Amino acid sequence: MNRRVLLAGLAITIPAILLFVVSLGRDPHKVRSPLVGRVAPDFTLLQAGSGAVVKLSSLRGKPVVLNFWATWCVPCFAEHGVLTEASRQLGPNVQFLGVVYDDKEEKILQFLRENGSAYPTLNDGGGKTAIAYGVYGVPETFFIDPSGKIVAKYEGPLTPQLLESNLQKTAGRS
Amino acid sequence: MKVVLAAMAVTLLTTFADRVDAQAIPAPPVQGASAPDPSEIVGEPSGKRLTGEALELETKRVSSLLRCPVCQGLSVFDSPAEMARNMKIEVRDLLARGYTGEQIMKYFETSYGEFVRLQPPLRGVNWLVWISPLIALLVGGWIMLVRLRSRPKASVRSDESLESSEPVDESLAPYLASVRRMAYDTPDESKTPLPPNAGPVTGRDQT
Repeated sequence: MNRRVLLAGLAITIPAILLFVVSLGRDPHKVRSPLVGRVAPDFTLLQAGSGAVVKLSSLRGKPVVLNFWATWCVPCFAEHGVLTEASRQLGPNVQFLGVVYDDKEEKILQFLRENGSAYPTLNDGGGKTAIAYGVYGVPETFFIDPSGKIVAKYEGPLTPQLLESNLQKTAGRS
Repeated sequence: MKVVLAAMAVTLLTTFADRVDAQAIPAPPVQGASAPDPSEIVGEPSGKRLTGEALELETKRVSSLLRCPVCQGLSVFDSPAEMARNMKIEVRDLLARGYTGEQIMKYFETSYGEFVRLQPPLRGVNWLVWISPLIALLVGGWIMLVRLRSRPKASVRSDESLESSEPVDESLAPYLASVRRMAYDTPDESKTPLPPNAGPVTGRDQT
């Protein structure tokens, strides 16, 4: 009888401990995006300030860094500098796009005046594009390869190292 | 010090006022822009275009089935988060365009994953979520039933036949036979007669 109780106890506790060990260190809030590995949802958005039309699918042929952000997002402030600097360094080889999530045009323009701009900033009024991309919060960045497929997604502010490692995935290197 | 505190209060109030204002008035979609088209993912709308009260009721029903990605413990309908508010507007918009509730669920699932459904659909490993409580209940009930049935039998056996069923130490067998012979005139356990008096047999009675 005691042996049976012991076996039953082990049958319950061992899987629980294994599950705990495997899950340790994982952020339970982070869920893998189902869009990674699929063609990026196409959109047409207007550039803040100029009103120029930008269609995502027209940019195929080179990697695209699609960054969702907002002026009220504190981590986005530091990340903006990283992306601006990288865009200036990489030039036309990589297309950077900023998509401002549910923000006001005047605030976007003020932010860009104060912090500089090196790539198109698009206004996603109503957040419909963010929803189509499964955005949880800002900042979030999608890395799209030259064929238009999403190869990586990063949640949180990017550092130069994280940006470089994710950009390598767009060239087929991981 | 007072000046610093006052400046902090003004800053906080200004920031808060901006956020409240941004949440109270949904930003309209920019003219000329177009978000990703749901029909490319879930096909053309297969329901009828809803309006008025029917639209509001169906918006409530569908958004109650969607998990808020920010709060995670709340549905899109119940969550006060800005993201949930935008998702609710999107649900209403899609219903007004004729998309069915299931098409809308599938659309959100495509971008957020199955996680966005508050009720996991009955497929694959999700069956475990639905049937494991029932299995646990049945197994627990069966164990309790077996225990309860076996308990009275064990107590009766111990009362009635403990003396005869107890294993006898082989080395003590000759002494036991001797005692039986003295007491009952027979060493055979099965032929042990009842004592002549109703009371217990004592050494004093024997003498």
